[in-house]
Amino acid sequence: MGTTASQLDTLRLLEYEVSVHSSIQELTFLTKQEILHAYQRFDELVPKEVKNRLDYRISMNDVLTLPELKANPFNERICKVFSTSDIKDGSLDFDDFLDLLSAFSDSATLDIKSHYAFRIFDFDDDGTLGRHDLEKLVNCLTGGTDDTNLTPDEMRQLIDNILEESDIDKDGTVNLSEFQHVISRSPDFVSSFKIVL
Amino acid sequence: MTSFLNRQDSYQEYDYFPGDAYPGDHHSLRLRRLSSGRSIHNIPHYNPSLSDGGDSEDDNQGQPRELRSLPRHMAIKKAKLKSRGIQVPVLSKAEMWKQDKLKKLQKLQNKAREILFFLALWGKTLQKIGGNFGGGVQSYFLFLRFLVILNFVSFLLMAGFVIIPSLVFRQVGVSFMNSNSTGEEICTVYEPNPPGLVVFYDYFLNLLSGTGFMEYSFMFYGYYNNTMVEDRNFSYKIPLAYLFTAIFYFAFCLICIVTRMGSAARVAVATGGSTAVNYSMIVFTGWDYGCLGDTATKLKQKNLLYRLQVDLEEERLKKHAASLTLLQKFGLHSLRLLMFLLVLGLNIAAFFGIFYATRYSQAQQNQSAGIQALFYEYLPSVVISAGNFLVPLLCDQIAKVERYSPSITVIVALLRAVVLRFVSLGVLLFTLWDQITCKGKINDLKCMLCGYNYESYPCWETRVGQEMYKLTLFDLLINIALLVLVEFPRRMVVDNWSSKISQLVGRQEFVVSSSVLGLVYSQTVVWTGALFCPLLPLINTVKFVILFYCKKITLFSNCRPPQKTFRSTTSAFFFLVVLLLGWMLASVVLIYSIAVIRPSLGCGPFRFSDNMWSVVPKSLYSLPLVTQEFLFFLGSQAFTIPLFSLSSLVMFYVIALFSIYGKSVRLLRQQLKGESRDKQFLVKQIGELSQ
Repeated sequence: MGTTASQLDTLRLLEYEVSVHSSIQELTFLTKQEILHAYQRFDELVPKEVKNRLDYRISMNDVLTLPELKANPFNERICKVFSTSDIKDGSLDFDDFLDLLSAFSDSATLDIKSHYAFRIFDFDDDGTLGRHDLEKLVNCLTGGTDDTNLTPDEMRQLIDNILEESDIDKDGTVNLSEFQHVISRSPDFVSSFKIVL
Repeated sequence: MTSFLNRQDSYQEYDYFPGDAYPGDHHSLRLRRLSSGRSIHNIPHYNPSLSDGGDSEDDNQGQPRELRSLPRHMAIKKAKLKSRGIQVPVLSKAEMWKQDKLKKLQKLQNKAREILFFLALWGKTLQKIGGNFGGGVQSYFLFLRFLVILNFVSFLLMAGFVIIPSLVFRQVGVSFMNSNSTGEEICTVYEPNPPGLVVFYDYFLNLLSGTGFMEYSFMFYGYYNNTMVEDRNFSYKIPLAYLFTAIFYFAFCLICIVTRMGSAARVAVATGGSTAVNYSMIVFTGWDYGCLGDTATKLKQKNLLYRLQVDLEEERLKKHAASLTLLQKFGLHSLRLLMFLLVLGLNIAAFFGIFYATRYSQAQQNQSAGIQALFYEYLPSVVISAGNFLVPLLCDQIAKVERYSPSITVIVALLRAVVLRFVSLGVLLFTLWDQITCKGKINDLKCMLCGYNYESYPCWETRVGQEMYKLTLFDLLINIALLVLVEFPRRMVVDNWSSKISQLVGRQEFVVSSSVLGLVYSQTVVWTGALFCPLLPLINTVKFVILFYCKKITLFSNCRPPQKTFRSTTSAFFFLVVLLLGWMLASVVLIYSIAVIRPSLGCGPFRFSDNMWSVVPKSLYSLPLVTQEFLFFLGSQAFTIPLFSLSSLVMFYVIALFSIYGKSVRLLRQQLKGESRDKQFLVKQIGELSQ
């Protein structure tokens, strides 16, 4: 594969950090093997000539070439939620990437998963799921093209039903606690909210 | 007061940053870069314990809060870790050691879980199936795996207590004869292997029908003797072992089913009931993030779209049905009644068919040979399978006329199929009983001498065992034949020959409900026959393993993913309920055979008792006196009445607890509503005050 010297150095540095200090392991739900594997996949997307590989930011388009994210209808939202870039373009550095994998891992708690799921579904980032958010969410779920969408009548009926079921304080939107309340009753959520590299 | 202020705080953030409700992260990132001691603003509505002045690292138990459960970016978590490292932990050496050990224990647990998952039978295959075909199909395979393990463990039970001791003690033990037999010598004659030349293909026919060389072997009841071994400290009576193993096998299966039902029920209750369609649940938790590739994603999207459309339509239908006029309602209900009677008529016709076929087959069995004999032997199985295939097909057409809502249609179809399967098995057993005991009339000419129909059934238990064996084998052969002769050709035709017909027919869909009923039916047959054919659980284990691989092959090669989704969490519970019904049917047969019918005089370990149960009282009297008194006490009223009252008490307590939990959940919901109303009131007040 032809790893350059800097890639090898970074990998060794990462292994050292993970095994001796075990600090990264405390901060994520991933095992040591998973972290190293994640680094390998991350490294493939970083251009060869970069020296400081752990701090490099991969653009959103490059991240979306990963097969696990490529076909996911929420891929752009996922990138934007986990990105810490100042210009909010969805680019990820290695820390963000680990955050992403940790939230989507096997052992992450329901709390973490529901929190991030809420943020992913909040398309306009206003802290609650309003009618527009729900509409966009349903369209993502069913396909997004004209022949795979619900009719406007069906959509209205569906969103009315959703709000009636989950909007406890009747303010017309679903906030985080109401969302977590719905999620807590689903036994399949933890196992379906999973991305494994 | 502080919490109110903090709420105010968060609302101010709300107001100042529209479109960016999560300023907390960026705020705190910048703050962290400046200094590492400030408090962190929190996201509105998040955990209020974080909104206190410093970082509240410890929760109520004094354990440091896990950093990785914090939904923040990595940089913040790293900074917190560093700050924790800087603050010298005020933990004694012992506590540090304890925490270290706890961490190691957790790692060990994770590792053990990984290994357990790896060892679990077919774990990876099941995951693959679930990913590609959804939870409904996966629940079928999970159910199949459960049955395989159950059968295998039952076989080990039988082998350990009945088959191996029988093998070992056959040479060693004493088989006592009852010398007070009263002129029933003719009943004790039993010759399963008539002397003479045997044609070579007879071996194959014998294998298929359980006669000939198979009849007098460990397969069937007739081979076991009432051997008894007695040593200084050790005595083993085969009849007792046989009986108790059979009873324990049934109890063990019941315990397994009920335990599994308990865990499935807990899940079903936690999700708040299955009948209420929960749109929020579908929309919020419906997506599977493990879906890889374009085709799988498009499939999942189609599934979700279909599911939502079906549920919405069902709601519209319900609203429409509620708004029908009285006359229309009357017309609809009378139509449904008519269809119900029609279905009942079809079922009764099927049952009579089975009844006559069985009677005819039993009559013909002793009078023909070769292939014809085989045909007559398998006639009941053929008729049952044909009935189980045709009648549901007709019922499906009838269901279209009845116009129930989609979910009720599914349940009604399942119930009808269940009733059909079990009653057809029941009719078969009834016919056999009819023949064996001359319709229950002991004084009938044929049954008077020996207590059962000696001429046709010199060893009736073996014959019943053979019938069950044939049913099991035929079921497996039919499944394999369908796979080879119907499913593969159908796929080849649909894939390679594009015409209107093949488009209409399309690739096969894996129908979960009827497959599950097939499994429940086979398992009920095995339970019914286990008393008479101790090796039947082993045969069934092998059969189910073969079936697993066959169904897996057909699923991945021939089937298209299901259009209609099947609720996986509640369906698991439903399968177990149906299995329990099958168990009850089999236990009725067991109890009747043990307690009422006269065992054959020519074969088997119970040949000299009036009924199978009577060996128990006889051996009871040979126990030491103290044990006898204790056992009698257990059966007396002085013990059972307090036991009964105690269990009723426990049951009432659990019911009361259950209702209290329901009430507290409702109370908490009201509190939530109240709190949000308070919030809105206070916001209004703030607005008014600030003007």
